[in-house]
Amino acid sequence: MSKVYTFKSREKKGSNKPEFEGNLAQGLNRRAFIRSGSQLSLLAMLAACKPKREDTAKPEKSTHKSEQPDQSLFDGKEARVIKNVQQHMFPDDGNGPDAEAINAFGYLEFAMTDRQNIEDGDPEFLKKGIGWLQDLSISSQGEDYLKLAEPEQVALLKKISASSAGENWLALIIYYLAEALMLDPVYGGNPEQVGWRWLEHQAGFPRPVEGKTYRDFD
Amino acid sequence: MKSSPLTTQEFDICVVGSGAGGGPIAYELAKAGYRVAVIEKGGWFDENDFKKDEMLPRRKIFKSKVQQEPHIIEEPDGEGGWDSHSTGQFWGGNIVGGASNFMSGYFHRLKPEDFRLLSEFGPIEGANITDWPISYEDLEPYYTKVEQVVGVSGKVVKHPFLEPRSTSDFPFPPTAEHPIASWFDRAASELGYHPFPMARAVLSRPLNDRKSCEYSGYCGSYGCHSGAKGSSRAALLKQAVETGNVKLITYAKAYHINTNHAGNATSIDYFDRNGSSHRIKAKIFSIACYSIESSRLLLSSTGPKHPDGIGNRYQQIGKNLHCCAGGTGHGIFDLTRLTPSEAESLKVRGPFFNRALQDWYIIDDKKFFGKRVKGGTIDFVFDPPAPTAEVNSLKWDDDDNLLWGSKFKQKLKSHFTQSRDFKFEVFCDWLPTDNCNVSLSANTNDRWGTPAAKVKVGFHPHDLKVAKYIVSKGVEVMKKMGAQEYYGNAFTAPTSNLIAGGLRFGHNPQDSALDADCRVHGTENLFVSDGSFMPNGGSVTPTWTIYANAFRIADKIKQQIASLK
Repeated sequence: MSKVYTFKSREKKGSNKPEFEGNLAQGLNRRAFIRSGSQLSLLAMLAACKPKREDTAKPEKSTHKSEQPDQSLFDGKEARVIKNVQQHMFPDDGNGPDAEAINAFGYLEFAMTDRQNIEDGDPEFLKKGIGWLQDLSISSQGEDYLKLAEPEQVALLKKISASSAGENWLALIIYYLAEALMLDPVYGGNPEQVGWRWLEHQAGFPRPVEGKTYRDFD
Repeated sequence: MKSSPLTTQEFDICVVGSGAGGGPIAYELAKAGYRVAVIEKGGWFDENDFKKDEMLPRRKIFKSKVQQEPHIIEEPDGEGGWDSHSTGQFWGGNIVGGASNFMSGYFHRLKPEDFRLLSEFGPIEGANITDWPISYEDLEPYYTKVEQVVGVSGKVVKHPFLEPRSTSDFPFPPTAEHPIASWFDRAASELGYHPFPMARAVLSRPLNDRKSCEYSGYCGSYGCHSGAKGSSRAALLKQAVETGNVKLITYAKAYHINTNHAGNATSIDYFDRNGSSHRIKAKIFSIACYSIESSRLLLSSTGPKHPDGIGNRYQQIGKNLHCCAGGTGHGIFDLTRLTPSEAESLKVRGPFFNRALQDWYIIDDKKFFGKRVKGGTIDFVFDPPAPTAEVNSLKWDDDDNLLWGSKFKQKLKSHFTQSRDFKFEVFCDWLPTDNCNVSLSANTNDRWGTPAAKVKVGFHPHDLKVAKYIVSKGVEVMKKMGAQEYYGNAFTAPTSNLIAGGLRFGHNPQDSALDADCRVHGTENLFVSDGSFMPNGGSVTPTWTIYANAFRIADKIKQQIASLK
């Protein structure tokens, strides 16, 4: 389908007129990897060539309910894996805050109680991905992922990013890292505006406050 | 689907929808002393609720959700066929004041030529072009009224296509301008073009209890915290309700207009938030639900004289819908190549770009088009801030591979702190054709069990040719301004937030849905006051024209209801 007539092929997230960014930047892409992730087994995932994202469709529906869970989505080990992967995605490298500094994990737990994120199947897919990573680590390295040395962890993450499902899983983690980095601190990420200060982002005003967040209106 | 009403109330006027098409009717009739009911599907939120929170537009808060209220969209698939899918993208605002709460308020009048497109430019094969039953001169007093009542800021600067005005200038001076505006003026002038400040439905000075703009930098897509934005809610409905003559019924979904054996409207049925049905009786009704939904309501409202929907004797209801054709483009400035003071000036957030070019509103380039043709407008604007979306768009490299780790962070840092992206938007006519219309879905219902709208959004190839021509001019300006990267796209996808037509007005019931006063053909007391009436959208955003025409209809309704006494 060709709808865009480009003088120079590049567009980004738009305003009051639609713009076209391929399907890489926003929801379509996110939905795409959810589906591929939920349908592929570990071996298929590793063997698969990258599918075109537009070939994928709606996500599997989650069976989770939208109420706030009374316990964490992730158990202790799962939480350590997610935190570790977040740190690889957004490291402490001297250039701005790392995943821990933006409270990426705390924000992720909050985001996983969001009705739409649950409907999109994100909590389910994130947990599946942890299992896949662990299985791959054991089958290919003979060791639990968390016990691998850092270079081996990076190599494993690079390996899974070469598959569609693996790349989609990592992209979903980054999707929520972006929210932790740039949303208002009222949602738990970006503590003391650390993300905004790093990227010199000027927030609007008035900013959201408790009792007037999007969830209070949703 | 119809239910027995739980309650029945009676008013002089019943308005369905509280956006730019409904607000002027309620405002004018209430001020004239008539009892008015306004039925609004959404809730009443105000300045205290409008925080500058990216999650509000990101989650489509204050808008209908696809799960409850889908539209079925049919788009060209690029291979000669049609692609059909369900979407929630075509909802503007499920809230008192409608989509006008979230507009950017880039305001342009139409030109006199827009009112006589057929006689001015001739027919185009495959397009249902027609002249309007009124002229620019008929609407001009109402454009002026909108400037004063809704509040339009700006400065009149002469240019080749400046429309005739009855006043010398705007009642409010221009809003504060970003430093880039002067860069733009210099570049456009050097190219021989005629830059002018774009008018805005944003107050630069207080009006009544509305404050002037606070320049938070979060305007379009976001609700206005100061009341400066000329939403129907802030500018009209608040005052209308204060007259004591308006009952604004929120969380009320109108689903059927009842008509009698003469074909006239007698009452409207709506569902409350619990799904119970209620009835409003009135002498006169005005529908303003946004183009798609107004057509849908008329098509759904069958009656003894209207077996195919109200006014649909000649199958004109839902026909000749149109969007805005055009495109967008960008100029990206590398701040590291500028002096420190230049770089700092481009980093400013708050004031507006507010510039436009209309040098090609009518194109007389016979080498390119073979004849004189209708062209369009270029608005130079800022995107509404969406930093989270921006970060997410940067996580892919040029080969579409996922970027992470230090490389990703370096890209973010460079993008946010060492470059600035300035944008233009091109607006051209989306010619009405037989391939752009609204009908009722045969198999998809909304949460209340009523048929969803099916929207076919085909475009005419001529639109794309005009759009490409004008987009290339915008790119030329960005290059001249000194942008290191400049590009533009013409597109044919529908602008879901800028749709009009579907119930176009005209003298002949066989090729129009409304008469010249925007009364539905075949009825005496049912008006449509949103953008549905427009035979063509003009090459600008249509909101100012929708407001102006709704004020014109309000005068017609006042005359008619006075004669009933």
